[in-house]
Amino acid sequence: MKSFFWENLRIALAELWGHKTRSILTGTGIVIGIIAVSLMSTLINGVDGLFEESMKFLGRGNLYVEKWPWMGGGDDWWTLRNRPRIELDMADEIKERSQYALVVAAERGRSANLSYKDLSAENIYIHGVTANYPEVSTVDVEFGRFFTDSEDRTGSPVVLLGSEVAKTLFPHENPIDKMIFAGSKRFRVIGVLAEMGQFMGSFSNDTQVIIPLETFNKIFHGPWGRRSITVKVPEHLVEEAKEELRGVVRVLRGLKPGEPDNFAINQQNAFRESYQGIKMAIGGTGMIITALSLLVGGIGIANIMFVSVKERTREIGVRKALGATSSQIQGQFLIEAMVITASGGLVGLIISTLISLAISKFLFPATMSFGVAFMAIALSAVVGLFAGLAPARKGAKLDPIEALRYE
Amino acid sequence: MLLIQVKDLYKIYQMGNTEVRALDGVSLSIEQNEYLSIMGPSGSGKSTLMNLLGCLDTPTSGEFFMDGINVATMGDDELAHIRNKKIGFVFQTFNLLPKSTSLRNVELPLIYNGEIKAHDRRDMAIKALTRVNLGDRVNHKPNELSGGQRQRVAVARALVNNPAIILADEPTGNLDSKTGEEIMALFDELHKQGNTIILVTHEEHIAAHASRVVRLLDGKIAVDEPTHRGKK
Repeated sequence: MKSFFWENLRIALAELWGHKTRSILTGTGIVIGIIAVSLMSTLINGVDGLFEESMKFLGRGNLYVEKWPWMGGGDDWWTLRNRPRIELDMADEIKERSQYALVVAAERGRSANLSYKDLSAENIYIHGVTANYPEVSTVDVEFGRFFTDSEDRTGSPVVLLGSEVAKTLFPHENPIDKMIFAGSKRFRVIGVLAEMGQFMGSFSNDTQVIIPLETFNKIFHGPWGRRSITVKVPEHLVEEAKEELRGVVRVLRGLKPGEPDNFAINQQNAFRESYQGIKMAIGGTGMIITALSLLVGGIGIANIMFVSVKERTREIGVRKALGATSSQIQGQFLIEAMVITASGGLVGLIISTLISLAISKFLFPATMSFGVAFMAIALSAVVGLFAGLAPARKGAKLDPIEALRYE
Repeated sequence: MLLIQVKDLYKIYQMGNTEVRALDGVSLSIEQNEYLSIMGPSGSGKSTLMNLLGCLDTPTSGEFFMDGINVATMGDDELAHIRNKKIGFVFQTFNLLPKSTSLRNVELPLIYNGEIKAHDRRDMAIKALTRVNLGDRVNHKPNELSGGQRQRVAVARALVNNPAIILADEPTGNLDSKTGEEIMALFDELHKQGNTIILVTHEEHIAAHASRVVRLLDGKIAVDEPTHRGKK
C-alpha cells in the first residue's frame, strides 16, 4: 500500500502543477483560514506576555484604596462621582490598624510641563509619593537616590526623572543636582529612574517624574488628579487582607452598618478578569473567522474536486481498466485534496510567520509556537480529508465501462 | 491449452418494462495463442461480450473461466486484479494519460500490480516500448507523438504486464489505413511471438488478420469459423 501513497502523491503533485491557477485559487481559502488561526493564537500569546509584563507594575499583593473602581463596579457614574476623595493621611492609620499591611504608601498625580534651560517636556505625569513608594512598585533608581522620609515630611523640592524625561531635558548633561522647573516651582534633580516600559502598551512609565507627596500637596492644591493609597500585603493572604482593609477604611470613614462603601479597593485581579474576558472575545472571534474560512475553503475544494473527477472520468476509466481498484482511485483523489489543503496550510503558516515577525519587530513580542504551527497543518489536512471524501468516493464508484466511454 | 471458457453467458438489462438481452446464451472457447476477431453490427452484443471478456463487467448468468479461474462471480476488486494481471487493453482512442510520458503510461499497469519495484518497472516499461519500436520515444508525451506512435505506446502498455490475452477494441479505428496496417502488422508479430489476441472490429480486412472469426447477431453467436488465413 505504501507504494500507492507515493504514487498517488506524485499524481496529485503533477495534477496540481498542471492546473497552477486553479490550485492557487482553490487553496486560498485554506491559506486565509490558517493565517487567521495561527495569527490569532500568536497575537493572544503576545498580548498575554504584554499583559503579564504590565501586571508586574501593579504587584500581586498590592491593594489600592481609591475613589474609582478600576473596572465597572456596579454603581452608576454619579454615585461614584460624588464619593468623597481619598484622604491620603489615612495611610498612617491603615498601617496602624491593619494586621496584614506590610507597607502602606500614598500617592497623588497630575500632569504638568517641565523645563530645564531652553528645553521643555510637556504633559509630564507628576507623581507625588511617600518615601516608601519603591517598596510597593517596580521603580528602580538608576542614577542618584530616592528621597528620604524626612525630605517627604518637610516637602523638599526634590525630583526623580523618568528615563524618557531625563533624555529629553538632559540630552548631553548629567541631570543630578540640576535645577528644573515645574511651572514656576524649582526642583533639584536627585535621581533618574531606570527604564520601565509601557503599561498595557499605552501609558509609559518612563515619561513620569516622582516628587515627595508633601511637596506635591504644597504646590498643587485642589481636587484634581489621582489619589491612591497602596497597601502591600502578603500575596497568599490578599483576599483576607482585602476584607480587613475594607473594614478598616469603613471605620476610618465613619460608615454605619448598611451604608454602602464610598471607596473602592482595587487589585490587579480586576485587570485580570476583564483581560480574560477580552482574551476570550478575541479568541472566540478568531475561532469563528477560522472555522468560517476553513469551511468556505473546504467547500471550494470539494467543488473543485468534483469538477476534477468529472474532467478526469476517462482517466479514471483507463486506470480502472488497467487494474486500479476503487480504493486506489479514492486514495488518489483524497491525497490530491489533502495536498491542496496542506500546501495552503503551509503557505498560510509562512505568511503568518512573516506577519508575526513584523509584529514582533514593530509592535510587541509575538512568537508563533511550534504547537500552533503543527495544529495549523494538521487542521488543513483534516479539512482536505473531509472536502475530498465525497468527490473521491464518486470517482471511485465510477463504472469503468461508462467512464471509458465518457467524452 | 484452453485459456478462456465461456458457457451459456447471459447479460440482460432491464430498461423500464422491456428486457434487453445483450448476450443471449453465448458459449465460446479460446485456446492459448489464438488470434480471434469478434465482429457484428452495432447492437449485436459485441461490446458487451468484449467488456465481459475484459473483466470490466460481470454476466447476469453463465460461466466464465479464465486460466481455470471462475471470473463470473468475482467482486470489483478481484476483477481489478484479474484485469491487471491477465488482460492487456488496446482501445480505439488510445486512452493514454495525456500529461504523462510514454514511459509513465506504460508503467501504469505495473504500478497497480503493487509488487514490482520502481526500478524493475522502468526496465520492463522500456523493454515493452522497445518491442513496439519506440525505444527512442520513452520521454515523449502523447501530444508529441503521431497517432500510430500513440497506438504503439498503448500496445506496449497492454504488453508490459505479460497478460494472458490482449484485447483490442477497434485498434485501427482512429488511424489512417497505412498506419492501421502497421499496427495490424504489430499484432501479427505479437501473435507469432505467442500472445493470445482478441480483436473487436467491424472491418472485414482487419478481421482477416485473425485466424478465427466470431460473428454475433442479436446477442447470439451466428458464425464461428476460421478465416481465410486460419484455413491455410
